Amino acid sequence: MNAMNPITTPALSIDGLGKSFRGVAALEDVSFAVPKGALTVVLGAAGAGKTTLLRAIAGLERPDAGAIHIGGKDMAGREPRDRDVAMIFDNLALYPDKTGFDNIANPLRIRGMEKGVIEAAVKDIAARLKIAHILGRKPKTMSGGERQRVALGRALVRTPTLFLLDEPLSSLDAQLRIELRAELRRLQRSLGYTFLMATPDFAEAMAIADSVIMLRAGKVVQIADPQTLYDEPADREVARFVGAPEINLVPAEIGPGGGVRLAGGLLPMPEKFMPLLASEACAIEAGLRPEDLALAPVDGAALSGVVTDIEPLGASAAISVEAGGVELRLVVPVSATASITPGLAVGLSVATRRMHAFDPQTGARLA
Amino acid sequence: MSAPKLSIVNLRKEFSDGSVAAVDGIDLDVAAGETVALLGSSGCGKSTTLNMVVGLEEPTSGDILIDGRSVVGVPPGKRNVGLVFQDYAVFTSMSVRQNLAFGLKVRGVGRGEIARAVDEVAELLGMADRLDARARDLGGSELQRVAIGRTLVTKPDILLLDEPLSNLEAAARLAMRRELRRLQKDAGLTIIYVTHDQVEALSLADRIAVMSAGKIKQVEKASIICDQPGHLFVAGFMGSPPMNLIRGKMDGASSGLTFARAGFALALPEGIALDPAEATGQVVLGLRPEAIRLAPQGSDTLAATVRLVEPRGPEAVLTLDCAGQSLKAIVPASGRPQEGADVHLSIDGSALVLFSGKTDLRLPLHAGEAA
Repeated sequence: MNAMNPITTPALSIDGLGKSFRGVAALEDVSFAVPKGALTVVLGAAGAGKTTLLRAIAGLERPDAGAIHIGGKDMAGREPRDRDVAMIFDNLALYPDKTGFDNIANPLRIRGMEKGVIEAAVKDIAARLKIAHILGRKPKTMSGGERQRVALGRALVRTPTLFLLDEPLSSLDAQLRIELRAELRRLQRSLGYTFLMATPDFAEAMAIADSVIMLRAGKVVQIADPQTLYDEPADREVARFVGAPEINLVPAEIGPGGGVRLAGGLLPMPEKFMPLLASEACAIEAGLRPEDLALAPVDGAALSGVVTDIEPLGASAAISVEAGGVELRLVVPVSATASITPGLAVGLSVATRRMHAFDPQTGARLA
Repeated sequence: MSAPKLSIVNLRKEFSDGSVAAVDGIDLDVAAGETVALLGSSGCGKSTTLNMVVGLEEPTSGDILIDGRSVVGVPPGKRNVGLVFQDYAVFTSMSVRQNLAFGLKVRGVGRGEIARAVDEVAELLGMADRLDARARDLGGSELQRVAIGRTLVTKPDILLLDEPLSNLEAAARLAMRRELRRLQKDAGLTIIYVTHDQVEALSLADRIAVMSAGKIKQVEKASIICDQPGHLFVAGFMGSPPMNLIRGKMDGASSGLTFARAGFALALPEGIALDPAEATGQVVLGLRPEAIRLAPQGSDTLAATVRLVEPRGPEAVLTLDCAGQSLKAIVPASGRPQEGADVHLSIDGSALVLFSGKTDLRLPLHAGEAA
């Protein structure tokens, strides 16, 4: 029992990690594990503690409390260079006077590796990134995408137990960011690397993560796979953070008879709300995703209101409707917006079984 | 038809190292009250174009006309165009009121008039109750509003916005987009909006000019540019993910047109015809990810393997391998397959477009002759 099983030992485990700066808690009782070969994303807004967490794991910050194990080994008191981690920052700049090969080889040369080993490693990563043909060229003759791939190659040419990536794509254009995140994921899989990546971008987290650690004000609020994070958010704030356009949060009441009163209408109660049913009306905050609302004929619609704003988003459009004193946003195919103008009276239908109930005070998800 | 507010005529900008033209002969008319987005990746020339309009850079050749008068050579301060940068350039030591008044003060405008103009703009921006706040105490979206307000207060003929939302967090960006849409309407502004973010362009612009390598590839109404890209580059740029683009050859057999490429073949819907010159030529097939659906195996389905599943909430983006061809598809989250699964695809033929393999321009598809 005492012997560590090498197969199930996580690449990283964090237990009760705490860190304060001048009395202000940056991390509080943070615990989680990152399995070997997995891509785990730390998701949170600016100031949530993502960078502090990564720096503590890398050994660049000394935690006040808790333990960090990398590859099963306790990191307490270990220097950054002795932790077998590679930290990748939002800095994909290349040395302008070095060739692609020399740029990628640089981290290995710094570590004094043998020439033959370096050459094999550089060629392998270059082949995987499909940049073998530009290794002899200097950055200024490469396209933007080629430069980014060379920079990725330089970041990934080492083979540490754990890669820490701190918003590695945040300085890139939207399009390139989407391409490179798929590329990162593909490489991570094919090389069997373990990634812990921090980002404030929920879409990026959802697209590539095996598991998402939602961090808020230094605390872990949820750990889940991307679809679960979206479908079953731990609380109101997670629901708001994950998803665009944002989830609609509406004051609502579950009547003793089982209906849900919101936005001036009465909706049938979804079955999952049963446990909330009480002898008296119970106040909740209802959460409705924009895609779970649809336009409907005014007559006989569950809810009715007036269009206040139309935001085209390409294939779809976000429509804002004021209904019963609250504003609801819904996403519809762009083809359905042809006859919609601000001021128009519309009906709304609701996919009630997808509705969430949050505690109006604490924000916790009740159902 | 009234004259355009702004006309850009064959505008070029070469930098002193002479390597490539940053702006390579662009033409664009912007009507009064219209919002046009210049959309493209970094380095495509959109910011250089903006800088020439505002007067921070002089064109190598070509002309810029505002209300029909050339402004080339006119100093920036005299063109009556207002530029808002992405880094807000708000004076953090000043109050909101002082920031808003700044541009008028340096122009020597009288105190009473400044106060009136500041109140008016603050009202428009919904910041009337924040006039005495220190700029350093403001959040990102408030700072951005002050930056826009500082420009608006000088009543520019044309408002130029250079990636104005890129420093904001997602939620603030959403709110600010809405704010800008309202401003456009309420103030009747003529706006040129530079961005690399197509969602911003789509949600704010009347028309979008897609730029690449110093050229405008297409200018089109925002509502139709995604569905009807006129140029291969635009097709590969717009949409998230963009259209699947497959280079191949048309085969105009008697039974109808077929697109083919090494192992991958797709019959065009019946009744569609191409110009005879193109019907046997090199083409690029464009297929929106929304037009590919998972379906039970059938006579007209294509077999594929799921390589990657990227959830994005209500739906998931699939990367598929279809006879050696990589395809992206969007499917509902509830029915998404596992990575590695073998699936069958049904393709909505009415949604496909074709581009000439020679010119990269979209080929017109005609209703075919009745057989």
